[in-house]
Amino acid sequence: MKHCPKCNRPYDDQETFCGIDGAKLASDAAAAAAPGAPPNTPIKTDAPRVANAPAAAEPFERIVCEWCTAQNQKGALSCRSCGAPLDVRNLVSESGWREAPRIRDMTEIHFGISTCQVEGEIVPVAEINLGQGDAVFFEHHVMLWKDDDTPMSVMPLQGGVKRALAGMPFIISIAHGPGRIAFSRDATGELVVLPLHPGMELDVREHAFLLCSHQINYSYLRIKGLRNILFGGQGMFMDRFVTSNEPGLLLLHGYGDVFERVLRPGESLIIEPGAFLYKDSTVTMNVESQKLTTGFFGGTGMNLARMTGPGRVGIQSMYVHHTTD
Amino acid sequence: MPTHTCSWCGHKSDGTTVSCPACGATIDARNVVTESGWSELPGRKDMAKLQFGDSFCQIEGNYVPVADMNLAGQDWVYFAHHVLLWKDPQVNITTMGLKGAWKRLLAGMPLVMTQAAGPGHIAFSRDAPGEMIALPLQPGQAVDVREHLFLVATGNVTYDWFQSNIWFTTRNGNETETHYPIGMFMDRFYAPNAPGLLLLHSAGNAFVRSLQPNQTILVKPTSLLFKDPSVQMQLHIERPAGTWSSWRSWGNRYLWLRLYGPGRVAVQSAYTHMEDNGRNITGHSGATEQRWG
Repeated sequence: MKHCPKCNRPYDDQETFCGIDGAKLASDAAAAAAPGAPPNTPIKTDAPRVANAPAAAEPFERIVCEWCTAQNQKGALSCRSCGAPLDVRNLVSESGWREAPRIRDMTEIHFGISTCQVEGEIVPVAEINLGQGDAVFFEHHVMLWKDDDTPMSVMPLQGGVKRALAGMPFIISIAHGPGRIAFSRDATGELVVLPLHPGMELDVREHAFLLCSHQINYSYLRIKGLRNILFGGQGMFMDRFVTSNEPGLLLLHGYGDVFERVLRPGESLIIEPGAFLYKDSTVTMNVESQKLTTGFFGGTGMNLARMTGPGRVGIQSMYVHHTTD
Repeated sequence: MPTHTCSWCGHKSDGTTVSCPACGATIDARNVVTESGWSELPGRKDMAKLQFGDSFCQIEGNYVPVADMNLAGQDWVYFAHHVLLWKDPQVNITTMGLKGAWKRLLAGMPLVMTQAAGPGHIAFSRDAPGEMIALPLQPGQAVDVREHLFLVATGNVTYDWFQSNIWFTTRNGNETETHYPIGMFMDRFYAPNAPGLLLLHSAGNAFVRSLQPNQTILVKPTSLLFKDPSVQMQLHIERPAGTWSSWRSWGNRYLWLRLYGPGRVAVQSAYTHMEDNGRNITGHSGATEQRWG
């Protein structure tokens, strides 16, 4: 096994570079994880996996989450950082797509001094118990319920006119702790829990984010190229989430099932633009058109998005189909 | 030596795999049948894999399943272009010729059918929560599918369509409106020489039932998924007792699709709203009628 010295994501021995940040992978020989051992079995580590972690005086057992790579205490059934079941192996298709973990009903996730409980499975609800000093921001139409005394404010946003013209939310709301507030969207799907480490940048399809913790900076990215805007299925903007010095939590709601794939540098993939859910900012997206002719009847056009690595790409299976005739 | 016969598709396998290699049904799953005789689709494990020709299809996800095909060099599939989810860059997509383009255009059916040839990966999904139905077709076997429900078929399955001949007319002043409760056309898929694979997507859950010769059943027209060609169809109009017939918004009637055996019929639980303006029916295709009270 190897791991990335920046994001600590594990890789197979034949990989050379991290698919997320392009860093050269370090050999994981010091870790006692035996080759071929099931990744979710407790890993007995004599040496710390994180470069700046204090040296361990004694061997200790940790379970590494396959989804977010966070380390969890022995015996834990779900990841403390992302809620992924720890006793279930990653489901990866032969083509390399990894299913987003199906979070068990009532799973609790921790961020800052707050918790998020995921409730339900068909249209899951994220119920946040905010601690003092913590906050989450969100688009106001995803609010399901809140405690009467949970304080609320709005986030000042730049480019309000542009956002209004582009159909993006003009107002981002903030809920402050202490208090409880819950969120859900309007269709069958999955909650995608993405703990973001310092220095990460993630681009998300507009209106797909459910909530985000206050440690993460929110901005938007104007999509370049007229063709990308008109036929890319994203509109004019994408949401961009950037961490600064502290880790934070980002929750998305994907319609249908959600799959993720890590592209190597220069590796490309063609996707239906309506299926795009999120990508690392290192992944480029360009629209390509294909004409499908039927002779006398003219035919139709197909616009597909070419995603080029390095980095992660997330898609949803119940996509928004955009008419391209 | 085959030791297992799939309860869904009848494929014989050695039973050592988790899933049926022809349709992906879980080998050890119990057949779930209602007391009235409807069978649920057999359980399918996430990432179940099935084989057709030298190619493979992996079915991924539970809510809106994805058919991820790994096409071998000589294999190809065809599909309506709007179900494409992703593909490898080297998989080439071209147009497949269809006859009767004018009629298809007028009927709102897809005018363009697209095909993709191997080698490479290509994946498909639809836009509603539901189930993936794998229908392996044996040589000489055909199946009729309601329009817009087909996801993808292998190249050795032929595609044709026929007029459903299920219609009724209503009059609004001088205008006559013609309604097609199951659509103007139905798709027919046929495997003439070699086994083929047809994948459908049902909205909600899918249920299948085998009708005996001359056995009949009434189903909501928009719930029909597929049927064997031997199953005949007819409109059925039912008028309940004790209602005031001038309630135009409803029309004082139930419209059903009557299906006659022998053969399989399948319905989906999340059907679309059926178009009916409630006006008096002035004409219809062959139909039976029932008045209560």
